[in-house]
Amino acid sequence: MVLALLIAVPPAVALGVAAARRPRLAAVAVGTAGVIFTIPSLALFALLVGPLGLGTAPAVAALALYSVLPVLRNTVVGLHEVPPDAVEAARGMGMTEAQSLWRVRLPLALPVVVGGVRVAAVTAVGVATVAALVAAGGLGDSVFAGLRAGDSTEVLAATAVIAALALTVDGTLALVERWLRRGR
Amino acid sequence: MIRYEAVTKRYGDGPPALDGLTLEVPAGETCVLVGPSGGGKTTALKMVNRLVEPTSGRVLIDGRDVASTDPVILRRGIGYVIQQVGLFPHLDVAANVATVPKLLGWDRDRIEARVDELLDLVGLEPGTYRHRRPEELSGGQRQRVGVARALAADPPILLMDEPFGAVDPVTRARLQDEFLRVQRTLRRTVVLVTHDIDEALRLGDRLAVLATGGRLEQYATPAEVLARPATAFVADFVGAGRTLRRLDLLTVADALVPGRTTGGGPSVAPAATLADAMAALLTSDGPSVPVVDGGSVLGEVTLDSIRAALRESQVDVEVDVEVDT
Repeated sequence: MVLALLIAVPPAVALGVAAARRPRLAAVAVGTAGVIFTIPSLALFALLVGPLGLGTAPAVAALALYSVLPVLRNTVVGLHEVPPDAVEAARGMGMTEAQSLWRVRLPLALPVVVGGVRVAAVTAVGVATVAALVAAGGLGDSVFAGLRAGDSTEVLAATAVIAALALTVDGTLALVERWLRRGR
Repeated sequence: MIRYEAVTKRYGDGPPALDGLTLEVPAGETCVLVGPSGGGKTTALKMVNRLVEPTSGRVLIDGRDVASTDPVILRRGIGYVIQQVGLFPHLDVAANVATVPKLLGWDRDRIEARVDELLDLVGLEPGTYRHRRPEELSGGQRQRVGVARALAADPPILLMDEPFGAVDPVTRARLQDEFLRVQRTLRRTVVLVTHDIDEALRLGDRLAVLATGGRLEQYATPAEVLARPATAFVADFVGAGRTLRRLDLLTVADALVPGRTTGGGPSVAPAATLADAMAALLTSDGPSVPVVDGGSVLGEVTLDSIRAALRESQVDVEVDVEVDT
């Protein structure tokens, strides 16, 4: 899951930066990522097992694909929400485009971008559970094993752990987000 | 020295935003671009640091066409203050002020010393304010930081776009005073944009009055603009402000109709200005405003009595203007 996020976040942010000032690219990119996001996880796994086989590879690929939309969308939104006067001041004081991006626009958009990563991470926990079906292992295995054996205790235990994991991930990233927003 | 030579700016096929502007701002002087919105003031200002490029004509700094200088290099040598201040909300006061020195690659000690010096200059105690964030500051304090940031790399030219527009009138007056104090010592070449004729008259060594359509109507000292408006437009633009300024100079006592009052609603004290009385009159339901001094009714003020007071003082005001000239 962490690997999937590491794979997905940098290109999604880069695409978001590129799209922030190009409305048409933004529409196409967010639209495409949105279509991928709406594909049911089971169907996406089935599609990916074809080229990638069973195991971790299709699971990571699917998680990465799901992660693109929230990160991309939040990057675009975050950059749009940067106060225009700050951007104008940066330009007027002689920052190059790259300096304005790294010193002003991205730092100001960062909390919103992290909000996107948070959504992606929580989504990833849920989807990763289903990844047991493509032999990727993980907590999903316990859920499905329990279901097959009719062992509701095992199902409940595994589900509780998964829920706790999702809440922990969500809470941690929420704290990061809040810390980044401090003093604004 | 800044020189505009027949500078015109057109956006699309519409009428020009700025129409053949030619004027010269001598080094160390404050030139105020003033006029109603749509006069091309901000357009003209932004041509100096190439945030806007002229459609035709050229802008020269010390005889050199700005178009021949790389905009990034050019801007680092020109202080820039905008109305919304544009402080970076993710950086503290010191880091905001240090923006341009950092871009120029100054070393840390020099930057730190310069930041403290500038905060002192704009009246913010460095020890208290250095590490505050913009959101922890009042509007007036933000404006001060904005000015300090613009002055950080000691630029010979300062561009100010409605620098005191976003603060309350009391703070604005104080910031204007401080601007005059700082400018008396620093003697930078300043181009300042405002739509407020009073601010223009107060801050400018010279006023460039721009009319809608970007035409320069008059370029002269404040005293000259008041005494000899070059066109009907200037007379009109200055004139309206002049009457209102005179209301500020007269007191309710000057327009008092002694006796009883028929008015209700808001009352004014005899020491209040006629501008206050006018405001009370406009918000009251009746034709008069009671004048009350410590609980006892002295009389009332009406539109007619204010008009009469203005007429009576006309002679004095004209004498004042001539003295200024």
